[in-house]
Amino acid sequence: MARLLFTRLALFVPTLFAASIVLFIAINVVPGSAARSALGVDATPQAIMRFEALNGLNRPLVVQYTDWLGKALHGDLGTSFQNRVPVAPEIVRRLPTTLELALLAFLIANAIALPLGALAALRRGKRADFAISALATVLGAIPNFWLATLLVLVFSLHLKILPAGGYTPFFESPWKNFTQMVLPALSLGLVSSALLLRIMRTTMLDVLNSDYVRTAHAKGAPERIVVMRHALRNALIPYLTVGAVEFGFLFGGVVIIEDIFRLPGIGSLVLVGIINRDYPVLLGSALVVTFIVLTANMLVDTCAALLDPRQLRPREAGR
Amino acid sequence: MSAFADYSIRRHGLLTLGGVIVAAVIISAIFAPWVAPYSPYDLDVTLMLEGPSRAHWLGTDEVGRDVLSRTIFAAQISVKVALFAVAVGLIGGTIIGMLAAYCGGPVDTVLMRLMELLFSFPAILLAVVLMASLGTNVLNAMLAIGIIFIPGFARLARASTLSAMQQQYVEAARSIGMSHSRIILRELLPNVVTPLLVEAAVAFAYAVLLESALSFLGLGAQPPDPSWGNMLNTGRGFMAQAPWLSIVPGLALFLCVLGFNLLGDGLRDVLDPHLRD
Repeated sequence: MARLLFTRLALFVPTLFAASIVLFIAINVVPGSAARSALGVDATPQAIMRFEALNGLNRPLVVQYTDWLGKALHGDLGTSFQNRVPVAPEIVRRLPTTLELALLAFLIANAIALPLGALAALRRGKRADFAISALATVLGAIPNFWLATLLVLVFSLHLKILPAGGYTPFFESPWKNFTQMVLPALSLGLVSSALLLRIMRTTMLDVLNSDYVRTAHAKGAPERIVVMRHALRNALIPYLTVGAVEFGFLFGGVVIIEDIFRLPGIGSLVLVGIINRDYPVLLGSALVVTFIVLTANMLVDTCAALLDPRQLRPREAGR
Repeated sequence: MSAFADYSIRRHGLLTLGGVIVAAVIISAIFAPWVAPYSPYDLDVTLMLEGPSRAHWLGTDEVGRDVLSRTIFAAQISVKVALFAVAVGLIGGTIIGMLAAYCGGPVDTVLMRLMELLFSFPAILLAVVLMASLGTNVLNAMLAIGIIFIPGFARLARASTLSAMQQQYVEAARSIGMSHSRIILRELLPNVVTPLLVEAAVAFAYAVLLESALSFLGLGAQPPDPSWGNMLNTGRGFMAQAPWLSIVPGLALFLCVLGFNLLGDGLRDVLDPHLRD
């Protein structure tokens, strides 16, 4: 167990380091674009030079990166070009909103995908299976930003039962927070449930056709025990792995959903960064989002390994 | 009727449905100037936010432009962006994946680790970050989305190439002294292209979605050029007075994505029955 955690952590750190290089290169792929973007097309060469000198952008890219990384390791993600405010505290302030939204959405996605995916597999080829598969196909094709718009149209403008946007911290007013988070979380969660649902159905079908499930049936184990103890537990291992990937997609979606519902999270900060061409803000917030996605992947990988003892004892499994 | 026959008919029905939707989208995109009743840029301030009528079947927008015409013309941008982006991803991914598989060793390790790294970013985030640097326009949206697709195609191309390399005809080509480039282009490529093309159909749907998402955020197609994404973004401001501005382009986008998803899934079922479940 400790060895497994150590291995996962040993892979995580260089991956995050490499991710920071990719993000840094992606943002600086066009030389000089930061100053031009921030100052606009009418900026004079002198103004651009002044801006680059002020923000250290006239140094070689490697120097800029190592300088930025050194500060980032000490919790300093730079200062906003626009208002000269440090980026890290702003991200910390916005983090709970984004985490709350992503976790709620992930909860909704799993609450739909797990039971329906398992049910579709248990009723393979029957009406329930086709209905659930059709639902997954439809949900998988709906853009989350369109679903968000439709939900606002119906629940906020037509029925007037949920707010169309805004944010109240959970500890300030739990009920108000809940009403404000329902629609954003549904927009992300419903769409994300489509892939998870299909994966759950497929993995459950694989498990139901396996020898050990047949053996359990042959030994006269009740259906409920076979499904809950043998099939579901083993189907969860590949499901979790794909779930981690889906969490990454879902987290990408917060950029749009936070904008639609005016949620003050990291996703909307990414947008502020790009609209204002504020590269420290963009780089800092993008790195934090990537960090969260990679952490989620690592945690889920570890959970999957804990559920599958063969991964904990590879040597014994190989014998 | 056997369960398999029933299943087969349903699957082929879905493939046909996907094909019909995709054909409709592509035909609309190509023949937009002839199919659309009005120009997508024609303003008429006397007809602002008019509901659906005989003259304007799907209503008008905030400056009196015909929503149906703009929705049809928007298909042009979506199809163009998706085609280019998928081509970038397909070509880039195939080259990287095949090289990694064929060379093996450190080349394989370095290339595939890089691909895994790119794969670990949320797609829309990477697209947004790339566009911050490249600039916000349709061409850069195509490029950013294409770059996002490279890792997926590279993985598939590598796996297919590794599988094809086990075949006897590749060994035979090597034994008669065929050059590496000829082995890759004449022996391996034709055998890896089918799964890649199937994947391209699915990627096409995702490219349309990503383009719309970028345009929705104001980073892709710029007004007054019509795109389903920027039409939806504009519609947000008029949801109470003109809900059709939010419904129509979204529905078109949904149908387009649904069509390509069904087509991709159907093709995958037909060409590789092992992946049916």
